[in-house]
Amino acid sequence: MSTQQGQDAKFFQRGKIEEFRAELQAAEAKDKKHQKRKTVLKKIVANITMGNDMSPLFHDVIQCIGTPLLEIKKMVYLFLVSYGRSKPDQIHLVIPSFLQDCNDRNPLIRALAIRTMSYIPIPVVTEALSDQLRHCLKDRDPYVRKTAAICVAKVYTADPRKAERKGFVELLRDMLIDENATVVANAVAALSEIGDRQDGVIFKLNLTIANKLLGALGESSEWGQIYILDSLLRYVPEQHADAEMMAERVIVQLQHANSAVVLTTIKALLYLMNYMSDRRLIDYICRKMGPPLVTLLSSGPEVQYVALRNILLIIQRRPTVLKNDVKAFFCKYNDPIYVKLAKLEIMYRLAREENAREVLAELEEYASEVDVDFVRKAVRSIGRLAIKVEPAADKCIESLLKLIETKVTYVVQEAVIVTKDIFRRYPGKYEGIIPKLCENLDALDEPEAKAAMVWILGQFADKIDNADELLDDLVYSFLDEPADVQLALLTAVVKLFIYKSQSEVTKALVHKVLKWATEDIDNPDLRDRGFMYWRMLAMNPAVAAEIVLADKPAITTDSDRMDRGALDQLLLHTGTLGSIYHKNPETFIRNAAGRALIDSPALNANSRAVLVTLARPQLPPMTISVSGPGPVEPTRPSQPSGAANNVPLPTIMESSRSDERDLLDVEGDDGAGGDSGDGYPDGDDDGPVTKAADPYASLGGAFGGYVTDVPQPVVGGGRGGDLDDLLF
Amino acid sequence: MAIDGLIILDPAGRPIIQSSYTTYPAAYPLLHIEALNNALAKAPREGSVDPVIYVGELSCSSACCHVEVGGMRFVATISGDVDPLIAFAFLDAFIEILHDYFGIVSVATLKDNFDIVYQLLEETLDSSGHPLTTSPNALSDIVLSPSLISKLLASVSPATPGVPSARQGGYGAFTSPIPWRKAGVRHNHNEILFDVVEEMRGIVGNNVFGKIESNAKLSGTPDLTLTFTNPNVMTECAFHPCVRLQKWTRDNALSFVPPEGRFVLAEYQYRPPQSALISNVPIPLSLKANMDMGEFGGTFALTLTSRLIKVMENLELIFYLGEDATSAQCTLSSAGSSVGSVGSADGSWAFNSRTKTLRWEILNMRSSGSWILRGSWTSKIKAPRPAHAFQIRFEIPSYSFSSLKVDQLRLSSETYKMYKGVRMRSKGSIEWRW
Repeated sequence: MSTQQGQDAKFFQRGKIEEFRAELQAAEAKDKKHQKRKTVLKKIVANITMGNDMSPLFHDVIQCIGTPLLEIKKMVYLFLVSYGRSKPDQIHLVIPSFLQDCNDRNPLIRALAIRTMSYIPIPVVTEALSDQLRHCLKDRDPYVRKTAAICVAKVYTADPRKAERKGFVELLRDMLIDENATVVANAVAALSEIGDRQDGVIFKLNLTIANKLLGALGESSEWGQIYILDSLLRYVPEQHADAEMMAERVIVQLQHANSAVVLTTIKALLYLMNYMSDRRLIDYICRKMGPPLVTLLSSGPEVQYVALRNILLIIQRRPTVLKNDVKAFFCKYNDPIYVKLAKLEIMYRLAREENAREVLAELEEYASEVDVDFVRKAVRSIGRLAIKVEPAADKCIESLLKLIETKVTYVVQEAVIVTKDIFRRYPGKYEGIIPKLCENLDALDEPEAKAAMVWILGQFADKIDNADELLDDLVYSFLDEPADVQLALLTAVVKLFIYKSQSEVTKALVHKVLKWATEDIDNPDLRDRGFMYWRMLAMNPAVAAEIVLADKPAITTDSDRMDRGALDQLLLHTGTLGSIYHKNPETFIRNAAGRALIDSPALNANSRAVLVTLARPQLPPMTISVSGPGPVEPTRPSQPSGAANNVPLPTIMESSRSDERDLLDVEGDDGAGGDSGDGYPDGDDDGPVTKAADPYASLGGAFGGYVTDVPQPVVGGGRGGDLDDLLF
Repeated sequence: MAIDGLIILDPAGRPIIQSSYTTYPAAYPLLHIEALNNALAKAPREGSVDPVIYVGELSCSSACCHVEVGGMRFVATISGDVDPLIAFAFLDAFIEILHDYFGIVSVATLKDNFDIVYQLLEETLDSSGHPLTTSPNALSDIVLSPSLISKLLASVSPATPGVPSARQGGYGAFTSPIPWRKAGVRHNHNEILFDVVEEMRGIVGNNVFGKIESNAKLSGTPDLTLTFTNPNVMTECAFHPCVRLQKWTRDNALSFVPPEGRFVLAEYQYRPPQSALISNVPIPLSLKANMDMGEFGGTFALTLTSRLIKVMENLELIFYLGEDATSAQCTLSSAGSSVGSVGSADGSWAFNSRTKTLRWEILNMRSSGSWILRGSWTSKIKAPRPAHAFQIRFEIPSYSFSSLKVDQLRLSSETYKMYKGVRMRSKGSIEWRW
């Protein structure tokens, strides 16, 4: 039951509705230039905007639809958009007016009528729309045609199979060669929308049409350009030269003022580069992409944020882009925090021996800033820089020590955490600073920092004279510590005992901790580890020493670079939500069709080696026969068109759902064309392809939050030499 | 590839206007509003909320992209595989259109003209979320601006020169072969004005971003060619869609048919030529800062000197004193050839206890001499942590960092004479660390 207040609102509204009704009726007489009517309708629309239910006025408002004043018509239509669907029993009253307006002399009214009709998914309306839409798609006025194109997408959403049967998809396809650029762009938008549906027909372009679309670029609005550029990803080049030629035509769009156009252009270029072989050209394009990306950073913080997240992906795949531009990513003091964090991550990625000094100086600057979160990440980045760029390690350590001296607790804690990793990266090199760290033992109150410090104490217990004292102090609160610290303490005490097994103090200490871990602790991890150590020490202390103090594999921050295949795939989503969250859209967006590179003779070997294939979901088998005009064309551009029309039409494969393979692999020109269904490419590569099964499995961890590069052990003998050539 | 809809929230987070989310459940926009308001409420301070907020609560995941304008928040919700940049680019375009129509964008103007805002929404974003017409020229034919409506109502013969009447409306915009320009424009007086605005931005100022703003009132379909004596100072250009990119690549000339009214013709970056000795653009001023940090506060002495022959205006220096700052006391003085009297005209300072910032302002900074601000501040904590950087802003009228020079502007395809004008202006917004 609604509250008293709700009741009041209802009364108020009912009064309002009566009032409006009376006013509308009064307006029927002596309404000069329909001013009265207009005023009432304006009030009604205002109420709709405020969320008040005006649907009881349905009957009264539709009386005004015949008024020969565009503004009034617009408001009536607005009303219909809001309430049409909720009045299936009365909507038939409007149909005659709809039909009349669809044939009005004014193109604006024609367009308005079909647009409104497409918003009302009621069978009578859709039925009436079908015929009108067919006419409007061929209307002489471009405004009507472009509106009709978008309407098709809506009709398709309502009932895909029916729209296909009625031949709307073919009609749309024919519009791709319309003389008006805006119409072309909207047709592309509609087809893309249809093609992005999991149950939609496949939308592919051939060379001729792709070129035609590029021709329309110059005259399109910025939004049209975005649609056209994005659709280039549906064109699979068959020859290197095709991809290269297309890239050369697209590249001028990098100079567009609209940031979305720029980013879509970059997406198209990144895609086309997979199909190129000319090293010089690829290198040239990479260099051309840098400056426009930097220019995006002069936009508002929101655009910067999106750009930065994308840049992070791009530079992992194409490190030559922005190689020398690390300065552009230095944080300004009043950048919003989300921009700062994104920049920090990129700075770290771009850091090399040549610019390490500058980057370090910047990071030191940030470490003195006010925002705690940012300062922590800056400190952590200094440590990571030491791990990544060996020649800069000395300087980084120096600066970490300076930071520790500031005694600001969170700075000290972060510094300790990264120092631990540095010790592992450069064994035997920096242990001299351990005493400095020990001075700050008391400042550590966060589990991660404490665990790191305990690890250092245990690992280097032989080099720290009073390690037993220090550990003894720490163990004092053992039972109250969080599990991470307890685990670290347990291991550290065992290490200490192995180093100094003669000392009575350490003997007592290890005994005490083992007893606690096995008897007083409920955590099974801790207990098990306790038992394991206890038995090892009891049975064979020499072997225990070997195991506990075994050489640790060196760590690197490089191994976290994302899997190449997954990266290629993510880059197809440049500028989309997927690239912001660094996840493929189909993994977190319902109804999104995935994208993957499609094999073709032109696909260069490096990209093919890491090709990720896409499984289209199994749809219920169902055959559709299309009765529309226009031939269904294979992708080969040279093939003569069977139609009277000499312009080859783009291929839109009508999906015959009985055979999934046909959907994607139209031609199978190289026999092994590995993009079919759910199969893997018949590649001869072992490493990367095995990952292809679930390329995103690793992404969550690899790209979760801030700096992804939690240092990791080096796996195997490093990466394959071939894949390191990231130019390709 | 589409935006779900657009919502405009008032400063309290309540919706003022929203597009009709016809294909979505009624809760859909509400959910996004709530998610955004929650995120804003949780934010430790202003401007720290991610501009793209992920809303995963509905079975379909979506996100809202938001921008703040005049205290209001413009929200575009997107779902599926959509480019958030499209959302932001659209929001920018839409806000620009509102500026065009109403002059100021505020809660009051939007509420007063909500029917126009609504019509604009309908025309710029269709309900399946495709941005449609955002070019002001085409829009002005379909949706009349409030001033035009009143004009039309007031006059008996509505067709004034250059203003298409309502009845013609709708034909002009879409019969025009050029999407950004309406057909059949007539002016008695033809003119085009260019404003070259260059802004120095960055940390200790190393980047200069330029912008050529134009205001065109030209009849017919004027085909213009704009050439510069030194086009090479413009790098990393980004152009209005009307500029023929191929021509620029080939001849370094801007060839275009302009839209009517105001538009940004080009944006560029200025870098000194490679051969120059200094690779950075020199900063037109210098700052010497003596900082002395003590317990519960500190003292400072800042000296600003101009390095320019021209007069700098509206110079402003902002210094964040840290979260725990409580008050500040300063004295102003100037040294060197101080011709004018020392007084409020020379400068002023103020401490804002809400933002914890000290603001020092010099309205008119002459070419020689120096300005000094001495003072101290107090803080609640023992070791105060003020910002390590000053934000400095300034303006320099009729000056350009790049000394970009227009060579000539040629008009073809029309026969009339037009008035041409070019004006230079520079400003700076730099961060100075100590």
